[in-house]
Amino acid sequence: MAPLKSLEPEFSAIDSHFQMFCVSLGIFTVEDFLLYDLHKLTGFAEQKPNSERLKQGITQLLSVVDGLHKPWMNGMDLLEDAKQNKHILSTGCEGIDMLLGGGLREGQLTEIVGPSSSGKTQVCLQAASSVAKKHMGSVVYIDTCNSFSPQRVASFVGLVSNLPFDQGAKHKILQNVMSNILCHSVFDIFAMFGVLHQLEFKLRSQKGDNQVQLLIVDSISSLITPILGGSGLHGHALMLSVGYLLKKLAHEHNIAILVTNHTVGGEGGIPKPALGETWKSIPHVRLLLSRDRGNNICSVSIIKHSSMASGKAASFMIYG
Amino acid sequence: MPTSAKWWIDGDESAAEMLARVSAERSVSLLPPPLHRLPLRVGNVVELVGPSPSAKTLILIQAAINTILPSEWNGVHYGGLERSVMFIDLDCRFDILCLSEMLKHRIMNLNGSMNKMNQDQEDIGMQNFDTRRKSNIAYDEELYTLCMRRFLYVRCYDSFEFLSTLKTMHCHLQKEKEVKHSSIHLLMIDSIGAFYWVDRATSFLPSGSTNRKSLSLQSVFETVVQEIRKLVQVHPMLVIATKTTTFGDRNFANEAHRKYLPDTLDFRNAATNTRQLPYQENMPSVWQSFVTHRVHVRPSDHVTIVDRQNHSLYLSEWLLPSLSYLDKFIVQDGGVFLHN
Repeated sequence: MAPLKSLEPEFSAIDSHFQMFCVSLGIFTVEDFLLYDLHKLTGFAEQKPNSERLKQGITQLLSVVDGLHKPWMNGMDLLEDAKQNKHILSTGCEGIDMLLGGGLREGQLTEIVGPSSSGKTQVCLQAASSVAKKHMGSVVYIDTCNSFSPQRVASFVGLVSNLPFDQGAKHKILQNVMSNILCHSVFDIFAMFGVLHQLEFKLRSQKGDNQVQLLIVDSISSLITPILGGSGLHGHALMLSVGYLLKKLAHEHNIAILVTNHTVGGEGGIPKPALGETWKSIPHVRLLLSRDRGNNICSVSIIKHSSMASGKAASFMIYG
Repeated sequence: MPTSAKWWIDGDESAAEMLARVSAERSVSLLPPPLHRLPLRVGNVVELVGPSPSAKTLILIQAAINTILPSEWNGVHYGGLERSVMFIDLDCRFDILCLSEMLKHRIMNLNGSMNKMNQDQEDIGMQNFDTRRKSNIAYDEELYTLCMRRFLYVRCYDSFEFLSTLKTMHCHLQKEKEVKHSSIHLLMIDSIGAFYWVDRATSFLPSGSTNRKSLSLQSVFETVVQEIRKLVQVHPMLVIATKTTTFGDRNFANEAHRKYLPDTLDFRNAATNTRQLPYQENMPSVWQSFVTHRVHVRPSDHVTIVDRQNHSLYLSEWLLPSLSYLDKFIVQDGGVFLHN
């Protein structure tokens, strides 16, 4: 929370006198000011001898508050931002690309729900290699259950590029792709916050080439399920905070986010997502993945999409 | 603030202005189903309650389109209000392309071109159209841009951003009014309970002074209600807020769902089945008492075929005031439609 004192150097009317006036009403920080009735505050200021000066302070404080929220946009601004900055990234998996109208959208959080060994990690690895290769962007891979496999990424790269390159060229491509994928091993929610905040800081300070285009969290549910349960209050709050932080990163820095969520046995043995009702408000797109027993065919269907009807389905093969 | 105080004193209007205002305020029968059942007015606070997904945001988008479209444009009747709309996105999931597509669809449909085409096809097919048709589309572009500009949007990642948006909204709306000469008619909040868990967990006891307000879910909502109440007085508008309920998951817990959804969609049974609230009310009472109208929407397990396409069927029911029948509606490219 920003104390009013910290605004003093920048805003002349928020001087020690104005701060005294605010403290007398219980306003110590900008947040306190947000919770205070503006009309009442102006009324109190008018009763004081130097009301003009105090009202100047209130106006300046209001301009500080105005900078706290995201700017107002109209429909055309939004559309331009969407067309200019929110590209579609191919996942390298035809079934999913077709289903989503091209792939993952930058600015959005896409979630894959599925039981274990339904192909969730495969989709993540394939998307990572596809974005690192085709889009030449960098990928941040947050691995929470030691499932990241550079060998499999390498094999996907080999699969995509079956052009008759000589060994040297192939090796160079592979090296480029691999150096574009940054893997972080994260095993608890607090480390996760650390990595995300660091990433946010890095993205804000650097602009230019080799932008992060895709952020993968495989799996988000294994980070969050341990903190849920009990009274659930703080667990839920942490879960939603991570969700909002991811959405903020996605939108502000034009990153596509892909997370996985495993399933657990629900009522009557029907599997349900491990992160259930409250988490539902986080992803833009939710895909359900399942795999036929005995073969490598995966089927995927849309459970929720911000602009498409749910229920559409497709299938694809698992390699390797 | 001195400027706002002055505004209050200068608030008198001419008879012509008053007539225009009153007639605009009365003509609010333009809302899409399921909000069409009751005559909603400026100053009302409508809560759209339902699980996710239940087409809540789509209903908001449709309501926005009805408001931003003009009543008439180049001789074509669009039946809109030609007013601005403010969308406060607390879920941070709003997709502008969705609004854009629906608006285009609506304009083209009302323009007499019944060809259902998406944008890509439109671009490719452009060359084949005769010149008259081309000019028609050009007009559409202008109308489309005007409408899109009337849609105002702010996204918030936490309660403080939400509060600062509300606190500074009056100035922005005032500016908007001066520049575009179109006043706001509809304030939409999607969804009001977005920061419920975070705010509940971050509440702490105040320190430093006895009259310092403690930061909590309660105090946040007190301020939200207070700010909206003041805004509505200065900028007469209808408020629609969505709220996500944590009831039953359609895809994974059909069993729980069926407990209160009758297998046959019997209209007469609806009232008896929903005596008790069909969801858990967890909002602070200050918000609950602020709400003047409440509609419950939910997906049904039924699928219906319209225009040879499968559409999932949604149900809606008025809880406040309590009306004893269910409406059925479907979602199509053009928006939300009632289904008989």
